Amino acid sequence: MTEAKPVLSVRDLTVDLVLGDGPAAARRPLIEAISFDLKPREILGIIGASGSGKTVLSRALVNWIEPPLAIAGGSVTYKDRNILTLPRGEMRALRREIAYVGANPQGALDPTLPVGRQIVEKLRAVAPEIDRKEAEERAIALLDAVRIPSARSRFHEYPSQFSGGMMQRALIVDALVSNPAFLVADNVTQPLDVTVAAQVLRLMRELTVRFDTAVVFVSSSLPTVAEVADTVLVLEGGRVVERQATKSLVSAPTHAYTRELIGQIPQLWTDTSAPAATAEDAEPVFSIRDATRSYKVRKRGTFAAMSTVRAVRNVTFDVFPGENFGVVGESGCGKSTLMRLLSRLELPDSGVVLADGKDVAKLSGKELMQFRKNFQLVLQDPFSSLPPRTAIGAILEEPLRTHGERNGKAIRERVLTVMHEVGLPASLYDELPLGLSAGQRQRVNVARAMVLAPKVLIMDETLSSLDQTEQFKLLKIFEDLQALHGLTYVFISHDLAMVRRVCNRVAVMYLGEVVEIAGNERLFFDPGHPYSRALLSAVPTLEARRYKPEDCLLEGEPPSPIDLPPGCSFASRCPNVFDRCRVESPALTVRGRSDFAACHLVDPHGETARELVEEPA
Amino acid sequence: MTSIDTTLAPAAPALRTASLSRRIWKQAFASFEFRLGLGVFLVLALAAAFYPEISGIDPTKMVVRDRLLPPMFFGDNWTIAHPLGTDQIGRDMLVRSLVGLRYSFLIGVSTVAVMLVIGCALGMLAGYYGGKVDAVIMRLTDAQLSIPMIILAISVLGVSRPTIPAIILVLGLSSWPTYARVTRSVVMTERKREYVRAAQVMGASNLRIMLRLLAPLILPPIIFVSVLDVARMMIFESILGFIGLGVQPPTPTFGNIIADGRKYLLNAWWIATLPGVFLGLTLTSINLMGATLERARNRVYGGVS
Repeated sequence: MTEAKPVLSVRDLTVDLVLGDGPAAARRPLIEAISFDLKPREILGIIGASGSGKTVLSRALVNWIEPPLAIAGGSVTYKDRNILTLPRGEMRALRREIAYVGANPQGALDPTLPVGRQIVEKLRAVAPEIDRKEAEERAIALLDAVRIPSARSRFHEYPSQFSGGMMQRALIVDALVSNPAFLVADNVTQPLDVTVAAQVLRLMRELTVRFDTAVVFVSSSLPTVAEVADTVLVLEGGRVVERQATKSLVSAPTHAYTRELIGQIPQLWTDTSAPAATAEDAEPVFSIRDATRSYKVRKRGTFAAMSTVRAVRNVTFDVFPGENFGVVGESGCGKSTLMRLLSRLELPDSGVVLADGKDVAKLSGKELMQFRKNFQLVLQDPFSSLPPRTAIGAILEEPLRTHGERNGKAIRERVLTVMHEVGLPASLYDELPLGLSAGQRQRVNVARAMVLAPKVLIMDETLSSLDQTEQFKLLKIFEDLQALHGLTYVFISHDLAMVRRVCNRVAVMYLGEVVEIAGNERLFFDPGHPYSRALLSAVPTLEARRYKPEDCLLEGEPPSPIDLPPGCSFASRCPNVFDRCRVESPALTVRGRSDFAACHLVDPHGETARELVEEPA
Repeated sequence: MTSIDTTLAPAAPALRTASLSRRIWKQAFASFEFRLGLGVFLVLALAAAFYPEISGIDPTKMVVRDRLLPPMFFGDNWTIAHPLGTDQIGRDMLVRSLVGLRYSFLIGVSTVAVMLVIGCALGMLAGYYGGKVDAVIMRLTDAQLSIPMIILAISVLGVSRPTIPAIILVLGLSSWPTYARVTRSVVMTERKREYVRAAQVMGASNLRIMLRLLAPLILPPIIFVSVLDVARMMIFESILGFIGLGVQPPTPTFGNIIADGRKYLLNAWWIATLPGVFLGLTLTSINLMGATLERARNRVYGGVS
């Protein structure tokens, strides 16, 4: 077979960040001397930590470099022409052959126009000779091809009516509709849930075959890239440090940086040093019994009709002192509502939340303050969770002042101690949170919770916005803090690898229900619920999978929590579904000593069933 | 990463001990405009505070012999005893203007303070609690907006005696709705931020969140804008004085000085002009200081220095 002519060849591409004007401007290279070829139908993966120039590179490939960035040298050759030096008009003609999909699907479409119309609009902008009717047909056919259910009616819906995964598919359609020769996919799976991301990845691979498109797949997660790419380019500090076929890169990395990256990837099944389940004879610190919470939302298309979203349904579990309890599930499964119930930002409609044996709904006055002191929350978004115009020291002092501390000197000392504990330099005391990185902001968040010396920290997706290296460092800090202060952690997360590394026991949530509670080992090696298996099968990893996505997950997305189907809520995506599932909802069933799963297929006597187990629900 | 980080990583910030507000003041003070504004303002304030007493001239004393003297260096019969000339019944214009400045400034600043307190408090409550509270307060605001200020002022001050507190209250009570609107909209967006939730989890009460967390965040820009309203209110006071519903003669205010001087505009232009010059000087100096402070604030909070 002869070597095919490359679709795209990049030579010595350098992009600078230019600050200031004129000849005195400071220039700093963001990517330097990058060269590679992209063959037809190839998927080229580009991987690097945040700040390594991935986004700059992917934008340079489609000639989308705007001040303060400037192209300092090199060429991007497509069809024997350097697209970086093409005049605007000719570049516009080329746009139909070059496509780009970004990481933020919600921000990429105009919310006031139907999705289909925007796709047609774009197609007609780059290819005006196609008439509207034909363009519409083409868009609908493609929407169908990326498996958007009932594409014809979805065509006329607005972006807000699409879920995150569908939106990302719509954007892929948007990129593919002009039949591009190559597609740059910049971190497309990052905002998606693992099971949906796995579907999008599968789609990417099919596309190269069906539409003859070459893909540049940019991501910060090596396992994700390894899943789709034929060849992987490793970027570090704006330079290519390694280029290899995916298989050999994973098995025999040559550059030290690649080895480090691979070393940081948490392992689900190979590493057996998982935290063991703790003894359960102690009094639980948190105990949530049959809690239910629903919200009223305005019904779509009506004026005043309300419908009920059942965000959390009959959730029951205990958290014991000193343990790391994990709650996992995809977005929309009720994790955040559960967090609000646990932290008493909201009260359950029915059922109770017991903290230290007391019902949190009945707390008031002094007791409530004591509860606030002992049970602290670390929030998810590192950017909106800090007031933008308050100095860091003042942010950390505030909880102490709220709790009645008046001695300024003591407050300052306490704050500095905690800042030291979480690894923030004392020089940040009078600084604004403005210049801090996401990792440092999360440290401030942790410090704000720690300053009151709590017993329990609830971590609401605290680590999900950080890259691998930062996550590593913060987990280390959490471990140290736990050893130092005997903390109990509740990790609310969608990241199974992180949960595998730190949690003793894990609850899996799906559509507002806890479908499985199990010890760490048991959940990862012998999950009782088909949804847990589906989740495990979708985690991007470099290891040999215990569970194949093809066997564990059907196409589709979770049903809307507004119109819950009768019976088991997972029935619509479950490969093992049978008639009983569609009519009867399974209750949590004991399996083994202390694990529970809610599935009709679980055999309660499958293992050493303890006698006289109380029904959990 | 969707955004391209364009800020250069700061090279390990040196240990700075100055607090934020100190840094803002220092920034502002370093600029020429601020010092100019402060200088003019101080001269005017000191003059208004002390000159009338020190000079011993009574602003209401009539000296018919000295009537309609021009200011210094204008015409041929000016005297050093009346640097800014005299009015139609021989009262010293400098003293009259300075005393007028006192009253106008007092009325302007307190009116704006009343507006700010009422407007921001109601706006904060409406934006923070939302729902029914919001609906009630905002309908009240609409009702208030529908009454023209000048008609309200005429009817209230025409019925009761126009004393200074009455004028302040009438002007203040008639212009708060803008502030309520602006505050409400800002609070509504800030309220949904995660740090408000974080404060709730820390155990902070609603009042505490409003006063200590939200107020320092949203008020400074509003207060800056309100400086412009001081000028507007001083002019309104002059209007009231002009139609005879302001502070009553013989107490001089800008309004009634201008109203008096109107009749003599052709042969004694300075009577009506000088209060305007003082008004302009005061407002320019306040705005200069306000603008520089705002710029310094933005620089510090923007992380530039």
